[in-house]
Amino acid sequence: MIDNIIIDGMSFALPLFVMAIGGIYSERSGITNLALEGLQGFGAFTGALVAYCLMRSMGAGSSVPYWMALIFAMIGGAVYSLLHVTLCIKFKANQVISGVVINILAVALTTFMTKTINKKVFGAPSDKFDLGVSARITIPGLSKIPVIGAFFKSVYPFEFVIIIIAIIAWYFLYKTTFGLRLRACGDNPHAVDAAGGDVAKIRALAVCVSGALSGLAGICFAYSISAKFSGDIYMGYGYLAIAGYIFGNWNLLPSLAACLIFGFARSGGYQLVQALGMPSAYSDLVMILPYVLTLFLLIFLSKNNQAPKALGETYDKSKR
Amino acid sequence: MTEDYIIEMRNVTKRFPGIVANDDVTIKVRKGEIYALLGENGAGKSTLMSMLFGMYEPDEGEIWVRGKKEEIKSPSYATRLNIGMVHQHFKLVSNYTIAENIILGVEPKKKAFGLFPYVDIKTANEKIRSLSEKYGLEVDPEKVISDVNVSTRQRVEILKMLYREAEILIFDEPTAVLTPQEIDSLLQIIKNLRDGGKTIILITHKLEEIKQVADRCAILRRGKLIDVRDVEGMDTREMANLMVGRQVQMKVEKKPAVFGKEILNIKDLRVKNDDDFEVVKGVSFNIHAGEIFAIAGVSGNGQTDIADAIAGLLPVSSGKIIVDGTDVTDMSVRKRTEAGISYIPEDRHSVGLVLDFDLKDNLALRRYYKEPFAKKGVLDPKSFEDYGTKLIDKYDVRCARGNTTIVRSMSGGNQQKAIIGREIEQDAPLTIFVQPTRGLDIGAIENIHRQIVEERDKGKAVLLISLELDEIMALADTIGVIYNGQLGKIAPAAEFTTSEVGEYMMGVKHHD
Repeated sequence: MIDNIIIDGMSFALPLFVMAIGGIYSERSGITNLALEGLQGFGAFTGALVAYCLMRSMGAGSSVPYWMALIFAMIGGAVYSLLHVTLCIKFKANQVISGVVINILAVALTTFMTKTINKKVFGAPSDKFDLGVSARITIPGLSKIPVIGAFFKSVYPFEFVIIIIAIIAWYFLYKTTFGLRLRACGDNPHAVDAAGGDVAKIRALAVCVSGALSGLAGICFAYSISAKFSGDIYMGYGYLAIAGYIFGNWNLLPSLAACLIFGFARSGGYQLVQALGMPSAYSDLVMILPYVLTLFLLIFLSKNNQAPKALGETYDKSKR
Repeated sequence: MTEDYIIEMRNVTKRFPGIVANDDVTIKVRKGEIYALLGENGAGKSTLMSMLFGMYEPDEGEIWVRGKKEEIKSPSYATRLNIGMVHQHFKLVSNYTIAENIILGVEPKKKAFGLFPYVDIKTANEKIRSLSEKYGLEVDPEKVISDVNVSTRQRVEILKMLYREAEILIFDEPTAVLTPQEIDSLLQIIKNLRDGGKTIILITHKLEEIKQVADRCAILRRGKLIDVRDVEGMDTREMANLMVGRQVQMKVEKKPAVFGKEILNIKDLRVKNDDDFEVVKGVSFNIHAGEIFAIAGVSGNGQTDIADAIAGLLPVSSGKIIVDGTDVTDMSVRKRTEAGISYIPEDRHSVGLVLDFDLKDNLALRRYYKEPFAKKGVLDPKSFEDYGTKLIDKYDVRCARGNTTIVRSMSGGNQQKAIIGREIEQDAPLTIFVQPTRGLDIGAIENIHRQIVEERDKGKAVLLISLELDEIMALADTIGVIYNGQLGKIAPAAEFTTSEVGEYMMGVKHHD
């Protein structure tokens, strides 16, 4: 049972975390990003569409569609995030409203396109792209260790991808000049401007990163929890990721901790329902566990939290 | 002979909507001198230098640097020309270390495993330490900005320029935010920089500073260049006259005071700050109608906390505050206002004004909820406009778009005029002025002093808190000197000499 809690918890927490990383990039640069939910959905849509096409031509046995799906989900998310970039940076629109609009638009757009493409291109009326669940890897040796061996058992390949991306993201954010300037943009963009940095460019790039990483998270959910792309992808995980990095105080490692708590709360709840032999209806109740946890954490943790100082402020050179 | 000058701005004109900020201004700066730009608030000094630093482009005229015509389109281009500027509002990242702030944009890099570039903070720290020793700019590069005080932040801004190898350093009102001791050390630093071969342009409206450090001085008035003088042998009074364009009265004329009934009574007031540290330690005093009571003291001895406690911005831990017979100790700010307190706060930006609101809304802040501004909770725009127009005219608030000017875009002096107008219109028995003339030019200071005396003569009680000893000596009827949260001595102003007040302020002399 512990094994299952760890396996399911990790496979939920890591996509959540990679999405939170995207959010951290965007918000540390000073752009409020409520669009994560829409970005992950749109990324999942593009990834799933590419995979679905490839699967039809290459057969279900090939792993190429899977990897192409991950890549195209990131591209799709990044492209869709350009909408947020354009609205917030070029047209200086309100960032909260832009984020909400992008979320609503994503739901409508992707479900509509899914139906239309299924009907017109594949000739089969359907509101989803079936993907199946991703294959899993068990690492020999390591997985035999008691308890923590579970971390190496039945792992989705995308989990490794996320870990590698997380390390790269950490390195860029905290160790490079790009990261230094990005974080400075979120605190005092005027300082960056005076130092010769291009605030608009840095922020645009940061939002694109959040789009790409959310897209990746979306396709991961599609390949694990739902085994397909459909409107069900919009389960609110984007908002959960936002809660994750807020509890993590806009820093990577604490956000990882928050996402892991969410992941294990969810998988632990499932196991509990099963162990107690409760009817399946109760598992829906368990689904709300991460959100209830969010409420509690909000009460206890948010007191010491410090959002980036310039978060959500449109950058205007002439303001003093 | 153009080679003589490192900077030449020729016939520069810059217009903003509704105002000509610089009108055909020509200045020529020699290498290795301290060149001062003197002028009242809004005379166009900052605008002129912003053009040199590439923040604005001139509408007309040319800028020559080192004998070459340049179009300075951005601050980073100015930096490449070795021009640096310390702005009035610091541009620092608050959660970064001093070193990170300094290197931002020109980060030294190293490669881990010869492959992964990273920001080399160690080398930066060392370089900053050696720079700070060279010019006497004491900082610890590893400290975080939000933990250091204003004068350190300013030194960081100076180091930022030096780190970028700036040769021409522009200081925009550098002393406005500093205490007297800090000012002395800054002026010394500026001299060190000049002696180290740098060229300095100093924007200021403080005549004393120019007298102390500058070699030459250009005087601007309402966007026009009035004159350029050698500072040596120049009389401060003459400079002041050139600056404001009329004879300046250095003294405040006032009639003998006529005290009325007691308006404010403070009994054993104790106040704690945010860190739970007691900053006001048992202060008692009272102010009568028709009296200016001034609290003198070195900054940070609890004087602003007394004002904040009376105004209701800080909770009182013990003691009593009685205004015009009403105990206001535990009242809300609005109740206090209605009980008869007007308050001109020290921090105009965060407490005094809503910067992104327009002028008429700011002027009505104290009374928007009352008739005729609001009728049963519905606002009446006409009343706001009429009231705004009336106050703008009465208090001579100069602004580009009248009632609808966004307050953020106004100069500091006019922002202050707006606050003072709003508060005086309250017609409250007690008016509190905290640092009312901070950062303002002579013309504005004179005007505010006159208003303070007028208030007194109308029979109001005035509490004046100021760090400027001259201001206190000129205005006060009664002086209380604060040191370390306690009022050392309270006595009629006539019984004090300036140096005596100074001694109490420094804690050298104690009350028996």
